[in-house]
Amino acid sequence: MSWVRDGVVDVRQVARGWRWGRRSLVPRSAEQFVSPTRPTVFPTGWSRKPAGRVVREVVQKGGLEPLFRSQVRTRVEGLDVLTGLEGPVIFVANHASHLDTPLILLSLPEPWRRRTAVAAAADYFFDTWWRAVGSAVAFNAFPIDRRGGAMATTPGEVLDEGWSLVIYPEGTRTHDGWLGRFQMGAAFLAVRHGVPVVPVAHRGTFAAMPRGQRWPGPGRRQLTLRFGPALRPTEGDTPRTFAPRVRDAVATLMDEEQSTWWDARRRAVAETTPDPVGPPVAAWRRVWEQSAPLEVDADTRVRAWRR
Amino acid sequence: MSRPGFVLEVDDRTPPLLVHEGEGFRLESFPLGSRVVYPPESLPTVADVDEAIREALLHPLDADPLPSQLRAGMRLTIAFDDVSLPLPPMRAPDIRQRIIEAVLTMAAAAGVDDVELIAANALHRRMTEAELRHVVGERVFRSFHPQGLLTNHDAEDRENLLHVGLTEKGEDVEINRRAAESDLLVYVNINLVAMDGGHKSVPVGLASYKSLRHHHNVRTMLASHSFMDHERSHLHHSAWRMGRLLAEHLNIFQIETTLDNNVFGAGYGFLQKPEWEWSLRDQGSMLAMRRGLAVAPPRLKHRRFHDLRSAYGLTGINAGRVDAVHERTIAAVHRQQLVEVQGQSDVLVMGVPYLGPYNVDSTMNPILATCMGLGYYFNSYRGQPVVRRGGAVILYHPLAPQFNQLHHPSYVDFYEEILSETTDPLVIEEKYEKQFATDPWYIHLYRTSHAYHGVHPFYMWYWAAHAMDHVDDVIWVGADRRAARRLGFRAATTLADALEMASATVGSAPSITYLHNPPHLIADVR
Repeated sequence: MSWVRDGVVDVRQVARGWRWGRRSLVPRSAEQFVSPTRPTVFPTGWSRKPAGRVVREVVQKGGLEPLFRSQVRTRVEGLDVLTGLEGPVIFVANHASHLDTPLILLSLPEPWRRRTAVAAAADYFFDTWWRAVGSAVAFNAFPIDRRGGAMATTPGEVLDEGWSLVIYPEGTRTHDGWLGRFQMGAAFLAVRHGVPVVPVAHRGTFAAMPRGQRWPGPGRRQLTLRFGPALRPTEGDTPRTFAPRVRDAVATLMDEEQSTWWDARRRAVAETTPDPVGPPVAAWRRVWEQSAPLEVDADTRVRAWRR
Repeated sequence: MSRPGFVLEVDDRTPPLLVHEGEGFRLESFPLGSRVVYPPESLPTVADVDEAIREALLHPLDADPLPSQLRAGMRLTIAFDDVSLPLPPMRAPDIRQRIIEAVLTMAAAAGVDDVELIAANALHRRMTEAELRHVVGERVFRSFHPQGLLTNHDAEDRENLLHVGLTEKGEDVEINRRAAESDLLVYVNINLVAMDGGHKSVPVGLASYKSLRHHHNVRTMLASHSFMDHERSHLHHSAWRMGRLLAEHLNIFQIETTLDNNVFGAGYGFLQKPEWEWSLRDQGSMLAMRRGLAVAPPRLKHRRFHDLRSAYGLTGINAGRVDAVHERTIAAVHRQQLVEVQGQSDVLVMGVPYLGPYNVDSTMNPILATCMGLGYYFNSYRGQPVVRRGGAVILYHPLAPQFNQLHHPSYVDFYEEILSETTDPLVIEEKYEKQFATDPWYIHLYRTSHAYHGVHPFYMWYWAAHAMDHVDDVIWVGADRRAARRLGFRAATTLADALEMASATVGSAPSITYLHNPPHLIADVR
């Protein structure tokens, strides 16, 4: 009997210590000694085939969307920029939370949502087969190597197949809610393949579900999402010249989100758009400011019975 | 690319860490901020071992190529390290076999007829025929053993010992007569840890008690800081003096090898991986092994561990004059085992595994466990001890008072009669050593059976003298309380209890360092 009891204790200790069901962690002082492992090349072409698309439609509309809407409130602005646009495009957004991807995908008009894929970190979303399958089915994700290694599918190939992309140029979720450094991958793809970039800015996801949190906070937090006018690389543009324009567009949208379109436009022209990197103050103050929940939009629905 | 050793600082992300404790292990949650010293990963190994051996023999350091030293009519003796190396024993073919075969091939080509092979076991137990066969290989064993030309060194065979002379400090140098009177003595070594090899091979491995007592004593051990650092070890200084004297009388061709850190083979991979890198399979293997060991009968548990054979890889081989060879060997050992540690700590934690040099295929009794923990592991440092003077050492081992009557007969009497009187190494040496060293019954068992020499348990106790002198508290976790008390130490059930007990010595918030070995490591304490 004690053998069973001790066995249970052992299993519990291992389950807790090695975080079964959660991502394993490396002690901070050992991070510099982690071997650079080549991520597994995981093919995702199957998830963009008709059968994969049907399954994803069921998963997104039947499971993901009801669940998402039950946990958060969303307000989406600027979708009209997609009118007149023909895919594929690259949606470039700031990255603050795992809520960002469902927020963007589920906010897109149906035809766009069905033809949009998400570039996801291979070392994070494709490190195990079940996480890879889940990411590919639910979000139409395909792996990109943040360290620049070769993958089964490149973002360029996905673009060439006619799929729009969601790319987070920061490469990872923000640690404090403010914007991080933009890498040039999205600008490179836009220039190389001649596709427009649609800037996207969102607020509230950091406050609702930041790094380290596995589920949105209680009380259906408010999230906002704003699409900006498409940017097209012009003749002579290089990734190095185009990338700052993309970043500025996202910054202007973030400014607009907190003020008005007119004020944000004027500040953009005057080159006085607030730096989305945030103020150089103590780390806690940066987090404190970003973790304040957004004000919930007033309920404007017409009720049959007014209270 | 193998990763270097490093010092982990336990944080909230650190999973429980594996700690060896005899024929088993446990998972221990260390206090936040504890330091854990991990050994380096295995270095790249030699791809073509036979070619490397050939190259070493043909291009030795500060010596003529071996073939040019071989001639018809000469007396050639090949001595080799005994069963105490490597640990665990190496999967066949043992590196000594491959080297000895290469030497014998050259000797045969040169027409050498008078060849003898001697296991350099000093006062260790005689190797069994099976052990000899494993070390030298079936071909060599069949060619030499039936004729009595493959033997164990007998340190009590007065007829076959030769007193070569005295060192400048008056130390007797007495070694195996056959070796001393040979035209060429080839010594085949496995340099598993930094204390091995060099002039410790011939002057110690082939010596008698009369010679060994000059450095195997408490005074020498107390002055060796540490005995894993041959430049600061009085034990080694003495052996080096003897070696220099021998070099004036004897032509020694030293062959030294270094191995990688691949201690645990397939199925035991988790034992040499950082815990946070354990896959689900590793976690499953660990759980299965722990649960299996919990219900396994003692004999099965013993076999499970002692049948383990390591797939060591060769990281280097050097041959030639002893000093030149050993310099390169030590550099290779340091490359494989050295880990830089900043500063000392209040508490040193070590898990004593199932195996040490003196219980191969045998039992690790409480005296051997003390030697392993406070001797070998404590002394695995360079510079200064990992724990500060006046600190505490916490060790993990069951300390079951069980003795192998075949291998360790004098240990029983040492434990029952001497340690019950005193645990002070100086007093023990002064009052009892000679009696045990000259006891006819122990000498008889050493010479005719497979017993360690009567004086051997004394040496094990001396091995721990530096640690006992350096720290104020020694606590064994999971140990038999009576056995711990007999050894002069204390026992605790858990690490938390041990730290509580040690708080009187080191305070309630001590700095803690855990040496995560095996695989082997040397803490280079700055």
